[in-house]
Amino acid sequence: MSVLELVANGLIFSSILVLGSIGLSLIYSIANFANFAHGDTMTVGAYSALVTFGAVGGLGGSVLGLPYGFFVALLVGAAAAAVVAIVTEKIIYESLDIGSIGLLITSIGIAFIYRGIIQIRFGADFTRFDIGALRPIEWLVPYGVRVTLHDVAIVISAAVLVGGLHVLLQYTDLGRKMRAMADNPDLARISGIRTKRVTLWTWIIGAGLAGAGGVFLGLFNQLAPRMGFNLLLLIFAAVILGGIGSVYGAMLGGFLIGMISQLTPVLKMVGIPIGIEYANAIAFVIMVVVLLVRPNGIAGEAT
Amino acid sequence: MSLRNDAVDYWSDLTRAEQGVTGSIVLFAAVLLFGLVTGGLNPTYFLFLVGLAGMYALMSLGLNSQWGFSGLINFSVAAFFGIGAYGAALMTSDSSPLLGGFDPIFGLVVALSVAAVMAVLIGVPTLRLRADYLAIASLGLAEVVRLLVLNERQWTNGSGGVRGIPRFFDNWPVLSTFPEAMPGLEIVIIPGSPIELGTPFYQMVLNISLVVAFVAASYLVLRRAHRSPWGRVLRTIRSDEDLARALGKNTYSFKMQSFVLGSVIMALAGVFYAHLNLFVSPGDLNPITTFYVWVAVILGGSGSNRGALFGGVVVVTIREGTRFLNEFAWIPFDTAPLRLLLIGVLIVLIMKFRPQGLLPPQRELIWPDAIAGSETEPERHTNQRPGGDANE
Repeated sequence: MSVLELVANGLIFSSILVLGSIGLSLIYSIANFANFAHGDTMTVGAYSALVTFGAVGGLGGSVLGLPYGFFVALLVGAAAAAVVAIVTEKIIYESLDIGSIGLLITSIGIAFIYRGIIQIRFGADFTRFDIGALRPIEWLVPYGVRVTLHDVAIVISAAVLVGGLHVLLQYTDLGRKMRAMADNPDLARISGIRTKRVTLWTWIIGAGLAGAGGVFLGLFNQLAPRMGFNLLLLIFAAVILGGIGSVYGAMLGGFLIGMISQLTPVLKMVGIPIGIEYANAIAFVIMVVVLLVRPNGIAGEAT
Repeated sequence: MSLRNDAVDYWSDLTRAEQGVTGSIVLFAAVLLFGLVTGGLNPTYFLFLVGLAGMYALMSLGLNSQWGFSGLINFSVAAFFGIGAYGAALMTSDSSPLLGGFDPIFGLVVALSVAAVMAVLIGVPTLRLRADYLAIASLGLAEVVRLLVLNERQWTNGSGGVRGIPRFFDNWPVLSTFPEAMPGLEIVIIPGSPIELGTPFYQMVLNISLVVAFVAASYLVLRRAHRSPWGRVLRTIRSDEDLARALGKNTYSFKMQSFVLGSVIMALAGVFYAHLNLFVSPGDLNPITTFYVWVAVILGGSGSNRGALFGGVVVVTIREGTRFLNEFAWIPFDTAPLRLLLIGVLIVLIMKFRPQGLLPPQRELIWPDAIAGSETEPERHTNQRPGGDANE
C-alpha cells in the first residue's frame, strides 16, 4: 500500500467521521451531555437506507456509480435518524431531570434499545447495499491509489453536507441562534431565543448528519448492528480533539482522527513496530492526552 | 410468639422498597427451588449460575466503591475484570505463553497486584478529569487494554485465549480430592426426574464457596470502609468535591485510593472467573460487561453495597434467563438482541422513575452504635424517611 493510497483512504474515512462528529459535538454543547447513543443513531440511518433502497430500487440512471435510488435512500436514512432522535428526545431525555451524568447513563440504555431492535429485525450478521462493487478508477491506479467512484461520491457528498451546514450556521437565523446557544445557553435564552426549539433543531441536524454518515459507512465497509457503536469512541476522540461545542473543531478533529487511524501503517514503514490493529488504540490515547493537556481541544479557547 | 413478633417488627421496620425487594427475592427463590425439586433446573448448572451471580456481585461492589462512594464514572470495568482473569490464567495455566504453572494463590496475588498497578497507571491521567470526560477516557483506555490482550500474541495467545487453567483448590490438601471422594447421590422427589449429584456438582460446590468467600470478604471490607472517616471523605467528594478540598482533603489522593480499591475487587471477580470457566479469551474484555455491571449498580442504588449485591443477581438473571427463551419455538428470532433491548429498557426505566436505585443507602451509612446508644429509638425515624436518600 502506498502512502498516497493511505491518504486517500484517510480522506474517505474522515468524511464519515466528520459527519458523525459534528452531530455529537452539537448535541454535547447544546443538550449538554455526552450522547452515547450517537453511534447507534448512525446505525439507524444506515439500516433505514438499506430498507428504502431495497424498496425503491435503482430508479434508472446513476451518478458516480451510485443509482439515483441510493440518494433517495440516503435522504430517507438521514431523515429516519433525525426522526428517531427527536422522538427519543421528546419521550425520554426532555422529561428527565437528572443532570448530565444521568443523561449520559440513560443514553447508553437508548443505544442498547436502538441496537437491540435493529438486531432483532436484521440479525447480527453483516449485510451490504445491493450495489455492485466497482473497479478502482483506472487513471489513479498507476499512482498506487485504488479508490472507486463510490469513495469519491462519499467524499463529495460529505463535503456538500458540511458546506451546507457551514452556510446554515453562518448565514441563517437558526445558525446564529445555535451558535449563541452553544456559547452560552442562559444568555441565549435571556436574549429571547426559544432555546427549546433550537435544541430540537440541533437534534434534527446532528442526528440527520449522523444518519448520512451511517449510510456512507455502510457503503464504505458494510452494515452491521454494531457498526455505529464501534465507531462511537473514534467519534468521541474526534470531538474531544477538536474541542467540544465547536462545530469547526469537530470537523477538524474528525479529519485528523480519520487520517491518523488510516495512516497507522506508515508507522511500520518508518520503523515503529505498531501495526494497523492498534489504529483505534492510537486514537484513544491521543484523546486522553488531549483531555489532559488541552481539554478545550485544538480549536477551543485555551482557558 | 416473640419470634413471630420480632419478624413482624422487622418487616414493618423496612422501607417500602426494602419490603418489595425482599418479597421478590423470596418469590424468586421459591421459583428456583421449584425448578430444582422438579428437576427442571440442573443443580450443577444452578450452582454455576450462583457463581456467575457472585462474580457480577463482586464487580458491582467494586464499581460501587468507585461510582457509589466517590462518584468516579469508571467505564473500564471489563478491562480490570479481564486483567484479573488473564493475570490468574497466565500465571497458573500449564499452556500459558507467559510463565505459567504457578499455584492459584500466587496467581491471585499477581493478578491483583497487576490490577492495582494498572489502576494507578489509568488513574494518574484520568482522575483529574471532569466526570463525563473520565467516562469517555476510561472507556477508551479499556479498549486499549482489550486491543493489547487481543494482539500481543506472544504474551496472551491472542484470540485463541488461554486454556488449561487449574481449579483454584487443585493444590490444596483435602479439597483437591473432595469432589471425587464425595459419594454420588441420586435424589428422587418427583418420580422420573431424579436429581443427580456427582463429581461436577461437588466441584461446583467448591467454586461457590470460593466466590462466597470473596464476596463476603469484599462486602465486609467495603461496608466498614464506607462508614469509616475515609468513606465519609469519599462521600463528601461525591456530593461536592470543592467542599472536600476546602476542608483540606487531598481529593485526588482519595479518589485514587477508591479507584484502586474498586479495581482490585473487579480483578478479584476476574480471578474467580478464570478458575470457574477454566478458559479465558479476549472476548471476556468486551465493553458490554462494563455496562452490565453499571446496570447492576444503578439498579441496586448507587452507594449501596447490598444494592450492588442485589443488582448483580438481577443482571445475571437477565443475562442467563434470556438464554432459556431460545427454547421457546414461538419466538421467531435469536434472543441475544432481546437481552440487549431488555438491558436498555431497564436503564431508561431506572433513570426515569427511580434514579436513586431500588435500595438507596440509608441506615447503612450510620454507625450502628450511634443508633443503639440513643434512648429515643431514632432508628424508626431514620428508617421511615419517605423515599429519603441519606447520602444525597
